[in-house]
Amino acid sequence: MRAPAEIPLVELRGVTKAYREGDAARVVLRGVDAAIGRGELCVVIGRSGSGKSTLLNLIGGIDVPTAGEVLVDGLALARASESTRTLFRRRHVGFVFQFFNLIPTLTVDENLRLPLELNGRSGDAARARAGALLAEVGLADRGAAFPEHLSGGEQQRVAVARALVHEPLLVLADEPTGNLDLDTGRQVLELLDQLTRRAGRTMVMATHSQEVIGLADRIFRLHEGRLVEMRELPAG
Amino acid sequence: MTLLRASVRHLRRHPGQAGLSLLGIALGVAVVVSVDLSSASARRAFALSAEAVTGRATHQVVGGPRGLDERVLVQLSREAGIHPLAPVVEGWVSVQGAPGRTLRLLGVDPFSEAPFRPYLGRGAAGIPTIGTLVTEPGTVLVSSETAAELGVGMSATLVLRVAGRARPVRVIGLIEPGGARSRQALAGLVVADLATAQELLDRPGRLSHVDLAIPSGSHGEQLLARVRAALPPGAEVVPAAARSEFVGALTRAFDVNLTALSLLALVVGLFLAYNTMTLSVVQRRATIGMLRALGVTRAEIVAVVLAEAFLLGVVATALGLGLGVALAGGLLRLVTRTINDLYFVVVVRELALSPAVLAKGAALGIGATLLAALVPAAEAATAPVGDAIRRIVLEARARRAAPRAAAAGLAVLATGGLVVAGAGRSLALSYAGLFALILGAALLTPLAMVGAATAAGAALGRLFGLPGRLAARGVLSTVSRTGVAVAALMVAVAATVGVGVMIRSFRATVVRWLETSLVADVYVAAPTIRGGRGGESTLDPDVVARLRAAPGVAAVGTYRGARVTSPSGSTQLVALGIGPASYRQFRFLAGSPETVWPAFQEGGAAIVSEPYAYRHRLTVGAPLRLRTDRGERAFPIVGVFADYGSDQGVVMVSRRTYEAYWDDPGVSSLGLVLAPGSDADLVVQQLRARAGESQDLLIRSNRALREASLEIFDRTFAITAVLRVLATAVAVIGVLSALMALQLERARELGVLRAQGLMPREVWRLVLTQTSLLGGIAGGLAVPVGIGLALVLIHVINRRAFGWSIETTVPADVLVQAVGLAILAALAAGVYPAWRMARTPPAPALREE
Repeated sequence: MRAPAEIPLVELRGVTKAYREGDAARVVLRGVDAAIGRGELCVVIGRSGSGKSTLLNLIGGIDVPTAGEVLVDGLALARASESTRTLFRRRHVGFVFQFFNLIPTLTVDENLRLPLELNGRSGDAARARAGALLAEVGLADRGAAFPEHLSGGEQQRVAVARALVHEPLLVLADEPTGNLDLDTGRQVLELLDQLTRRAGRTMVMATHSQEVIGLADRIFRLHEGRLVEMRELPAG
Repeated sequence: MTLLRASVRHLRRHPGQAGLSLLGIALGVAVVVSVDLSSASARRAFALSAEAVTGRATHQVVGGPRGLDERVLVQLSREAGIHPLAPVVEGWVSVQGAPGRTLRLLGVDPFSEAPFRPYLGRGAAGIPTIGTLVTEPGTVLVSSETAAELGVGMSATLVLRVAGRARPVRVIGLIEPGGARSRQALAGLVVADLATAQELLDRPGRLSHVDLAIPSGSHGEQLLARVRAALPPGAEVVPAAARSEFVGALTRAFDVNLTALSLLALVVGLFLAYNTMTLSVVQRRATIGMLRALGVTRAEIVAVVLAEAFLLGVVATALGLGLGVALAGGLLRLVTRTINDLYFVVVVRELALSPAVLAKGAALGIGATLLAALVPAAEAATAPVGDAIRRIVLEARARRAAPRAAAAGLAVLATGGLVVAGAGRSLALSYAGLFALILGAALLTPLAMVGAATAAGAALGRLFGLPGRLAARGVLSTVSRTGVAVAALMVAVAATVGVGVMIRSFRATVVRWLETSLVADVYVAAPTIRGGRGGESTLDPDVVARLRAAPGVAAVGTYRGARVTSPSGSTQLVALGIGPASYRQFRFLAGSPETVWPAFQEGGAAIVSEPYAYRHRLTVGAPLRLRTDRGERAFPIVGVFADYGSDQGVVMVSRRTYEAYWDDPGVSSLGLVLAPGSDADLVVQQLRARAGESQDLLIRSNRALREASLEIFDRTFAITAVLRVLATAVAVIGVLSALMALQLERARELGVLRAQGLMPREVWRLVLTQTSLLGGIAGGLAVPVGIGLALVLIHVINRRAFGWSIETTVPADVLVQAVGLAILAALAAGVYPAWRMARTPPAPALREE
């Protein structure tokens, strides 16, 4: 088992998130407390609507909690300004989404170089970094193609590469296999696990997939917005 | 850079949408630039030709309607010791065998010219020129270019026509222009000796003006005082630039109106740019959300959208400038014709490609596109991060925003109304208010759309079944995208309605005015270069006498047009020699006929037209000061009459008053009342025979003159009609692009319907029902908005620009055409998508996302 480091990378303290729906408020997360260590792979499971995606959005700084604290690498995201959160995402977070969400008007290679460029890394070094990662995900020959010409599995492999290309502290994956067939999904998971672990990154993944559970260091189970189970799994 | 590349690729992937938007903005820019270029060219041509005539003169001595007695020269040079000075006789002549060609005849004293117009001494090599003019009567100089255009060489005879009479002259020299500027200035100039010009223009012993070169400073002031002291009562000294300034002021209202109309095209273009950028942002909301998740900041998103708009603006503006220059050639003819019909003679040879006008067009095009992109850019910045939000939420939000937009619209409408009401005499403020009213109405559009589509849903369902209901719901579910397109179409169609109703109301008013004001049976006048009324050419007195005595003529009214000066500038004066039978031609807006006519005929009083009274803030009882041949005199105003002959207005005095104060026995035109039972057309024929060959005459029956007047009216509004068509074209293009993009985007939805068994013809019906519903909503809204615009144009803008009151007429055909136009435009926009969707098998459509 991989023990959590002394200072966790992610800390959630009493996190509550509610949305307004007309006059009523719908509470999606209720008082979640948790900590995620550096280099850990945490999997969040739960039914549809249990708050998995919302939790990921809060950790990624896409959204802010209604109450409570979200600390990532010491930064209190709940109190940070919108632009601070954006720049934090740019530098420290990599996303993998269920629907791939590549930029349709950029080639595969350009999609990969975009996070590097946003972080001020351009030129040959960036090109080499993108090319190397593309080779690692097995798509070295597809750099010039536009996303629409790729299969779903290929698009998701590009998305995985994009999430890691700028060496973020944290990778957030929201149902990364939800839109793929079983075999392709398995391949993408292996790739994600392998690349994240090799680079020593922390990953939080929301999923329904039982196979992912086998890869996880820890499992969080959400039920109706509450964290009802936090289980550490034996390594291997 | 990569972000911008993604943006540009988005535009390239939607070439139809981007292309139509480019065309729309380009057309908007083209209209503004072409109107600006053509009126600037007309002004420049006038200024250059005035400059050629004025030369280096600083001041001019001018006189009354018949100019100055040439003895004034002796008074100025011998008694007052003024040097240098140069006498000038000038007038407009046409050329026999070159219809439509007008030349400016400049009669000068060759020996006084050197200090004023040195270019006259520059003849072709070795040819005696300017001096020969004096020794050989009936000789002239023309510029070498004009000679080539007219196909005449040295020693050739040129037949000039002056007030209907043929006057042959011999060309004895060609003036070589020194450069491009003087080439244009000299184009259309005929130079003759003073005596020759006086004879040609039938002004023996008279001068148009005397040029002076007075230095500035106290010495100059002393000289001017000496000049003034030496002048006879009817003469005065004015700065040489005053004439050009007066001419500039003449056409200012006309220019402002043209500019406003062209700006309307740009406003529609602006809506279009806004629409394109909004559509482009809405289409990419998910992508923008994605970029935000990757850490692209709001400011960077705004910058990318603005950069995209900038690119679009630059390309469209470049296209628009080219198109504008091409269009300006055509508009220039219309502008020149209107100016000649209504204001003064101007001969424009070439389009002046003023860099300032082009720069203004470029700034306006790019600026407007950027301005239009501001809201979509801000909207893009608020796109939710990631893919959390779905279209349906967005549309619900757009529908909820509709009432807020409508509330803002009402506020803008109220502000516009207040500005229009409180603008006083300011035309610019009135237009600002008018544009606010248009914007307010546009803001009301989305709410009206939601209401109309909800109401239409049930009816369409009954008529067309499910596709009908789907069509109505389709409108409701796309307010975020169609709202702006429908507003743009509404604005353009409303403008069409507004301008259409205004022109038709004006025309109906003019027709009624002509019916009452043309009371004689036959009108006789000498042809003038300038169209319309104002006839300052003189009928041969013999001809007048012969026509008076013609059988069948029961009564004769005489008219004399003259330009006189008043303290507020140049004034068109008409001396009226009519009897009580003709009094009914005047409809008085102030003053009653019972008191007006005795004072007018016997008491030396004046009557003024409505525009004149408005322009000079005069009313009954006020004294009107005019410079007469007996010095400045005050004439009491006893009546203000309705008149649509000139927007500058006209002052009328009785023939008796005229002859008492001005030494001018001339008659410009006659109105003949025929004996009862006479056939006007037959009498016209007899009169033509009787008048003889000595002078060309325009002898026209009442009906013919009325038709000719209406022809001038219609010609005047030809340019307005062209601009109206262009503004509508811009809007139709906008609607085509927006609706087409929208329908093409629905490929997936239609694919699902096709998969579920919707027949291709039902797809056609669905798409066309929806687009025509949008067109119908735009057209329906455009009718009340257009009528509102017309009311403002008629009662506020026209009143403030020209000073006349127009009775409102709302012709049904203008309204029907407008709604039809909107529906047709929208239907046309549906044809291509419907055709494409109907023939695409469902599977590929379903794969598209």
